[in-house]
Amino acid sequence: MKEITNKIQTIASNLFADNKIDVFLAWEKGDLDFKTKSFVARNAEDVKNIVFDEYSINNIANSLLKFRDSHERIGIAVKGCDSRGIVRLLEDLQIKRDRLYIVGIPCPGMKDPLTAARNRGGFSKQKEADGLAKKCLDCIQPNPVIYDELVGPEQSPRQQGDRFAKVKEIESMSADERYKFWEDTFSTCIRCYACRQVCVACDCRTCIFDEMKPQWVGRENSASDNMMYHLVKHAHMAGRCIECGECERVCPVNIPLMLLNRKLIKDVGTLFGGPDAGMQYVEGSKPPLSVYRENDPDSFL
Amino acid sequence: MKVLSKAKLESALNKLSDKNEVFVPMQKGERSGYFTWKSFDNGQDELMLDALNVYQSPKNVVLPQTEKMYSIKSQGVEVNIDKTYEDAHPTIIFGARGCDVKGIIAMDDVFLTRGYEDSFYKARRSGNVIIANACYEPGANCFCNAMEVNSLDPVGSDVILRDAGDGYVWEVRTEKGEAVTALIADLLEEKEAKLPEVKPFTQKVDYSGVAEKLKDMFAHPIWDKLSQPCVNCGMCTYVCPSCYCFDIQVKMWGDEGYRFRAWDSCMFEEYSREAGGGNPRGASKERFRQRFLHKLEFFKERYGTPLCTGCGRCIIVCPTDINIVRIIDAVKEAEINA
Repeated sequence: MKEITNKIQTIASNLFADNKIDVFLAWEKGDLDFKTKSFVARNAEDVKNIVFDEYSINNIANSLLKFRDSHERIGIAVKGCDSRGIVRLLEDLQIKRDRLYIVGIPCPGMKDPLTAARNRGGFSKQKEADGLAKKCLDCIQPNPVIYDELVGPEQSPRQQGDRFAKVKEIESMSADERYKFWEDTFSTCIRCYACRQVCVACDCRTCIFDEMKPQWVGRENSASDNMMYHLVKHAHMAGRCIECGECERVCPVNIPLMLLNRKLIKDVGTLFGGPDAGMQYVEGSKPPLSVYRENDPDSFL
Repeated sequence: MKVLSKAKLESALNKLSDKNEVFVPMQKGERSGYFTWKSFDNGQDELMLDALNVYQSPKNVVLPQTEKMYSIKSQGVEVNIDKTYEDAHPTIIFGARGCDVKGIIAMDDVFLTRGYEDSFYKARRSGNVIIANACYEPGANCFCNAMEVNSLDPVGSDVILRDAGDGYVWEVRTEKGEAVTALIADLLEEKEAKLPEVKPFTQKVDYSGVAEKLKDMFAHPIWDKLSQPCVNCGMCTYVCPSCYCFDIQVKMWGDEGYRFRAWDSCMFEEYSREAGGGNPRGASKERFRQRFLHKLEFFKERYGTPLCTGCGRCIIVCPTDINIVRIIDAVKEAEINA
């Protein structure tokens, strides 16, 4: 990883030296070894702070949203999942491809800094396992799908067995059981909206949950408002979720949000076919639910 | 000294729960916070009195995340308040750490002083008793000592518990404390107990002069850099023991409905949006700055104490490693007019 860090730093330095970029988005180290966070290098001097290590788990594509209204030319280091996020932003015309210089890093899997922080924090009596993060064990695309330059050897997907096994388990429940399952699951939500904020596919300028005139979803922490929030949020992710797993990773009450996302991935795949969201970038292409076609499936109507 | 042996803890909680709703720190499935003792499921839940703390502070006992205020009936152009829900039912927060007690005392300042009383908060607090749990061993992220909290003797506690191994030393501080003590008097023993050694704080924080310095730092470039990783979720504000901001909304079905208040967060864009659509804190940086200025400067100016209580929760849960201690450090080190 040290070698990858050095390579990224060299690439970023050269890009600044050749005046090809104004900022470089990557990760930097915090004050403890598990503290790695997103970072914006603004000049060649900042480049020395860039790191890529076993905790570089944050989806850097999300940082691009802070630059969508500006004109900086952006260098960005991405893992497989982050690169799928870039494809999403390109498809949604949130950023132009020619503003980006993408350094792809085939990802060996990351540890979760939040797990380490919780273990150090002392608020629970049992320590959590500190191996690869759950989202990384479920990874189907460790290699970047879009890049200008690739750093490091290709990696194999880590996901094992049936990716939709748990989804099928829920599908096989009766409607009442399913309702009860989700009602119980969402009852623990504290509505902090972290799942929305870390989501790179959540790129709406004004979110439906922030609309007040009219107000679509109430702010009560109740079964109905909580469920309304999650079902609407995730239904919006149909055909858009890039499976980076950040929503589930950051949730402070461990709501299995990826279960909902995978159900939608499965349904969109079955109904519309085609590659999963963000798996390949074809200029001008749109996810299935962003376009209307006469032959769209409608048997469920 | 009075001692409640741990073998009698459950009996004491049962007895206290006869006439009070008793909130106890628990791990309940994926949730970690204060839940009623009556909801304690012996096989499933874990009592967390002997842990450092729990992720959700007890603030929702006095300021629930969602609180119904009054119901409304409209008749033609007339709107009548049908019923108000000021709730003074007796509650006990059992085993709160000093940082969390301070969170409630800070909210008392907001809701009960300076010529304004919030009747809903006042009702809840009037029925509320705080039994604190003195802290002898600070955690890795704790810095309440730097935030004017005495974790061994938290101001505002009605009773203070001290974990002495096989029992809790039970120290009564107020009349309210006397009253709850009377409920379990037969379970308390008079005996000597050895108190634990006081361990030092490992995290060093120097808050001195920070509030004053921040007065000149509203437009300082430091906020651009510090706020960069922040994604503006509300997790820090919702786990915070002293963040009290709320929104008041209404739900109507035809002619009937109710008004309620619900926690809100300065991290959300919609929080500071004005009726005309303008937003003085439209940018992420501005919302980020507001949170820290409120915690470290504005509250100190108005009430003489910081609004941060040093519990360290936001440091643990932040998905992007925003750390209030590092922000205090950065403010200390910042050059003004640089």
